[in-house]
Amino acid sequence: MALTGLDIYKLLPKTNCGECKSPTCLAFAMRVAQKQASIDQCPHVSAESKEKLGAASAPPIQLVTIGAGDFKIAIGNETVLFRHEETFHHPAGIAVTVSDKLSEAEIGARADKIVHLIFERVGMKIAVDMACIMNDSGDPAKFAAAVKIVAQKAPVALILASDNPDSLKAALEVCADRRPLLCGANASNYQAVAALAKEKNCPVVARAKGLEALTDLTQKITAAGVKEIVLESGAEGVRQTLEDLTKARRYALRKSFRPLGYPMLTCMMGDGDSFLPVLKAAAYIAKYAGIVVTDAIEPWQLMPLLTVRQNIYTDPRKPLQVEPGVHKIGEPGSKAPLLITTNFSLTYYTVEGEVEGSKVASNILVVDTEGTSVLTAWAAEKFTTDQIAAAMNKYEVEAVASHKKVIIPGLIAVESGKLQEESGWEVIVGPKEASGIPSYLKANWGG
Amino acid sequence: MAQYKVTFLPEGKAVIATSEDTLLDAARLAGVYVSSLCGGDMICGKCRVVVKEGQVFEEQHMLLSREEVRSGYALACASHPRSDVVVEIPIESRMEGKQIVVDEDAQRFSGLAKVDLAKYEFEHAPLIEKIYLEIPPPSLEDSLSDLSRLFRAIRTHVDVPIMQTGLKNIRRLPQILRRGDWNITCTLGQRGGTVEVIEIEEGDTSNRNYGVAIDVGTTTVVVHLIDLKASRILATDATYNSQITFGEDVITRLIYAKEEVGGRERLHEAIIGNINMMINNTTAAAGVNLQHVTCALCAGNTTMMHFLLDLDSSNIRREPYIPAATNVPPVRAVEVGIQINPRGLLYGVPGVSSYVGGDITSGVLASGIYRAPELSMLIDVGTNGEIVIGNNEWLVCCSASAGPAFEGGEVKFGMRATHGAIERVKVLEGGELVETVVIANEKPRGICGSGLIDIISELRHVGVIDRTAKFAEPGYCSRLRRTDDGIEFVLAYADDTAIGRDIVLTQPDIDNLIRSKAAVFAGASVLIKSVNLRFSDLERVYIAGGFGNYLDLHGAIAIGLLPDVPLEKVKFIGNSSLNGAKLAILSREASLELENIAQKMTYIDLSSNLKFMEEYSSAMFLPHTNLELFPSVT
Amino acid sequence: MESVVEKWTTKVNTITLGATKQMGGTREKTVTVGGSSTLPYLNFEGAWPNPPAIAIEMWDREPDGWPEPLADAYADVWKDPAKWAKRAVEYGAEMLCVTLKGTHPDFGNRSPDEAAGVVKDVLKAVGVPLIIWGSGDFNKDNDVMPRVSEAAKGENCLLGTAVEKNYKTLTASCLADGHKIIGESPLDINIAKQVNILISEMGFKLEDIVIFPATGALGYGMEYSYSIMERGRTAGLSGDRMLAQPVICTVGQESWRVKEARGSEKDFPTWGDLKKRGPLWEATCAATLMQAGGEIVVMRHPDAVKSFKSLLREFTA
Repeated sequence: MALTGLDIYKLLPKTNCGECKSPTCLAFAMRVAQKQASIDQCPHVSAESKEKLGAASAPPIQLVTIGAGDFKIAIGNETVLFRHEETFHHPAGIAVTVSDKLSEAEIGARADKIVHLIFERVGMKIAVDMACIMNDSGDPAKFAAAVKIVAQKAPVALILASDNPDSLKAALEVCADRRPLLCGANASNYQAVAALAKEKNCPVVARAKGLEALTDLTQKITAAGVKEIVLESGAEGVRQTLEDLTKARRYALRKSFRPLGYPMLTCMMGDGDSFLPVLKAAAYIAKYAGIVVTDAIEPWQLMPLLTVRQNIYTDPRKPLQVEPGVHKIGEPGSKAPLLITTNFSLTYYTVEGEVEGSKVASNILVVDTEGTSVLTAWAAEKFTTDQIAAAMNKYEVEAVASHKKVIIPGLIAVESGKLQEESGWEVIVGPKEASGIPSYLKANWGG
Repeated sequence: MAQYKVTFLPEGKAVIATSEDTLLDAARLAGVYVSSLCGGDMICGKCRVVVKEGQVFEEQHMLLSREEVRSGYALACASHPRSDVVVEIPIESRMEGKQIVVDEDAQRFSGLAKVDLAKYEFEHAPLIEKIYLEIPPPSLEDSLSDLSRLFRAIRTHVDVPIMQTGLKNIRRLPQILRRGDWNITCTLGQRGGTVEVIEIEEGDTSNRNYGVAIDVGTTTVVVHLIDLKASRILATDATYNSQITFGEDVITRLIYAKEEVGGRERLHEAIIGNINMMINNTTAAAGVNLQHVTCALCAGNTTMMHFLLDLDSSNIRREPYIPAATNVPPVRAVEVGIQINPRGLLYGVPGVSSYVGGDITSGVLASGIYRAPELSMLIDVGTNGEIVIGNNEWLVCCSASAGPAFEGGEVKFGMRATHGAIERVKVLEGGELVETVVIANEKPRGICGSGLIDIISELRHVGVIDRTAKFAEPGYCSRLRRTDDGIEFVLAYADDTAIGRDIVLTQPDIDNLIRSKAAVFAGASVLIKSVNLRFSDLERVYIAGGFGNYLDLHGAIAIGLLPDVPLEKVKFIGNSSLNGAKLAILSREASLELENIAQKMTYIDLSSNLKFMEEYSSAMFLPHTNLELFPSVT
Repeated sequence: MESVVEKWTTKVNTITLGATKQMGGTREKTVTVGGSSTLPYLNFEGAWPNPPAIAIEMWDREPDGWPEPLADAYADVWKDPAKWAKRAVEYGAEMLCVTLKGTHPDFGNRSPDEAAGVVKDVLKAVGVPLIIWGSGDFNKDNDVMPRVSEAAKGENCLLGTAVEKNYKTLTASCLADGHKIIGESPLDINIAKQVNILISEMGFKLEDIVIFPATGALGYGMEYSYSIMERGRTAGLSGDRMLAQPVICTVGQESWRVKEARGSEKDFPTWGDLKKRGPLWEATCAATLMQAGGEIVVMRHPDAVKSFKSLLREFTA
């Protein structure tokens, strides 16, 4: 279990010297506990304390990086079972398969298709970030040829799926510089695969049925000198897969059990159903998969999957912010009211909901207050006349409100005089609570 | 610009104002108090006055009812004179004398109390000491200079490595030594690691050594005159902080200091004026010569200390909230305008951060939580609710912005705990019967914090409000009625009040109170969770603040303001800020302890703490969303 | 190997909806949800006795603005609630969610009697249990829901929604007419608890409440719903009785509002086939929220229903 701030404090010199740039030793200890500071920043901590802390602060799940240069992803190093406890840190890799049984033209076309699986959502690009080349042919030369095509065409991290060490070796000849994930090592081939992985400094998948067998296998692979491992439990059925994913995560986090302290890979093939693999993959992304491999390749299949990953890996600790600017509710005409609020999403959506409820088409000017609510922003000078007037200029509110009247939250009524002076607009003090908006709008702006 | 005479009743004070001035400005000029929470922004509607004679122009607002306007009421902040006018300040807008129980010591000791240092195990060694010296006269063999001779003599009495004194003293020294026939009294003041010879007098005056301990509160200021030698309180005085006319809360005053030309100076002068007036009052009452008061020690929140010392306060409310100083070295009191001995020193109790100041450090000293092995919590409930949790190994603290509701602000008939305030309430018979206790047994003018806590817990008890603190439908009881502004509950009917109007509690009043209590409780929750502990781990809970004197614990727990801990673990400690200051002025050991405490306290900033909002929303319920946290009341 | 089985202390409440003839109603079958003593499908450490139930959403009036894939499925029946109900059951609905949109002052302002008539028609047309969802206008709901509740008396329906600011009328109706109730909260675990407390303090059994924590569509706040549900569920399983209720998610309604599910191929040529894209968006949202503990999933498109059902079948196998 992780050490608390007080636990760490007890190991510190308690002199409050401030040399670590924290005002007190306890403040420093709390930052260390939250992984915002490293114990090394304390110049006076004893070697003994350092050792105690070092053991407790090693990541329970190994960080594994796959790929090189710009085509690199990192997975693992997760710290919690539920995202609300902290956040999920490293988004799962999403891999699309390419079989080496296809013709070269088909392989090239599929690689091209993978490259185009990129979408823009809420100002962020989401994309398939891995390709998994399958050695379905069993032939090392064919495999290497397929890998070569995909590697050339697709700027993504690669998974080499073959349990034949010769195939892996042949493929590595053409793509070792890409640091692919070798998939993988099992009880019978692990010596050869681990040796390859070690030689080429590649991460490797350990594949065994059940967690006990996996425990055994990862210990052997680490003994062979490979550190970056990905687990595949080879479970049959969704329920068993979910169980293995859950148990492995719990062993790593709750029991600090090293042999299972690695990210996990799951594989979903369509078998004629184009929806089901996506649904399964969605469930596994929510519950602990580090990589999902699928043969789905249509944009309507990958878009929801990539969105699930984006949602699940959003940091819940960051206050969600709304885009600053003028937001239109309904179809506001030139006589529609202009309300002002902050860009803290909870604040904004509360206001938006009430405005919507009022059925009075309106404009809402969202001021960038760094995700703080009305009073907090006001008290910290992020939502005072200066900022509001600047936002009114920046977002050219006159274009939507030629009447030159603006409604400010009742909680910042004190700003009304100054804002009126500064902006030259008529400043109307609105209700203190969002719940008062509908009756206010209906009575005064209802047309 | 036209100028008019504005006369204020009942005082009869008159002042010349321009047509640009508001009546509130005029009242400030005249030194007449008119209640105002928003500082004149036409928001609070508290500065109600009655224009008896003459013409005023009143800006538009919606804070008075039609009926009130018809009977001559106007808002002072919205009204400008258009002729000579006579204005009456009605009873509800007046400041009625002093707060009755500003400070329990002021009552209990009534001027003749001894501060019990032994109880705190502090050695009696005041910050300013007077020692009587019989100095061997010089000779050809013993030919040290007068100053070195003085220092040598002092060192035979006290162990001080480094000494200093001002040029003025050195200039006077030869004369005083000889005129006193080498028998003199030295006043020694602590200045960090050194000792300053503040004053040299002929003969033995060591019995006349006085200091003042001052609690500089946002709302009230309290002065205790102390005989430093006898550890005795000689006289006490308390008054409202005159800065109130510039804004009720800290944030409004910070804005005033920054935005208004001359604002900072006015805030500074206001508090200095209050302090000097009270120093005069107390010294006069005790027959002490101001010359013999050589030491003033102030405990106040960080903003108040900035205004007192006239420091630049403009960064306090701006992220990352950096004050100019939290620990100011001793300065000459006259430098800031405090009128005691011209060479007397002014000490400030060190604070922790912008929002946890010396008043809290002082409270920690007085409560003793920093030296006890058991886990304790100190809650100082005011406009800001400051909370400290810890023991002899560590201390964490935070400040939750509670708003002025518990001090009567933001509540329609809210007022401070003065004459005519309803301070206790019992609601019976399903809301039909209300029993009240009014301060000084007068007819009520309004309701103060303790009464508000009672009323919330009582209304919940009889079902007039539900757990979300929303009123039932009118008709639930006859006192619950619907008006144009919504539903309200009648606490006292017009005939039974001193103001001739019904005293009511409105839904927004209740909402403000719930927000205040939620902020305090949420702050305490975040704080205790920051150290991975629970309220049930607390061995002691100390409640401080003027407010704490009346607090009904059952009610405070029933509404979820205080955590549900066994009552025997809870202790009121009154004005802990002042009590700590008194200990420190009498004991250097205690004053050093203040430094240690301030340095040791770890400040947890709530405004950047994401868990605070979560805790806050779970505390917006009666008593709390997690009912299991309040087993004794659910 | 050491055990990593979690020792949950409390079970999620079991709730049965619908009343057969023996139970005093007219439903052909009942639906039971909840009763689990662990997180979804972790059968190795506890019981997960009832798979999530799928309800199909239908309206009391013709919807406006439903995109093509939904129109393909329902346009020929959506003017007739009874026919719509039958169609939904054909598509595999275990329950129907009758949404009284038409009673809203801005969407037809239908009378309480008309609403009650629709509910009676639906009850006559199909044998599955009903969820009846008000229009969301407080005043109107307080007129309509008591009448509707009475019309469905004895059928053991699930009525919604009770919110913090408007729970008394609906709670009283459900108490009087023997229905279960939905307590709604706006993605806020505290308010979810508060609503349950308020309802239960009117004498309503905690065991008869279903939590509606508000549903965010995939890509549009789903993660909020997900974490609120997961937090609520782990608290419920850990002994918080105020959060041990089954959860309902309005996946269909939310999913079909977003452009990814309804945007035409003309407008978004790189997104691919709308007829597949829309239903899969809906089903993916359902599959994800199921992992956070959703017990009743209200859906719209038959293909989404079918696909989500096959996922559940695999989990139950």
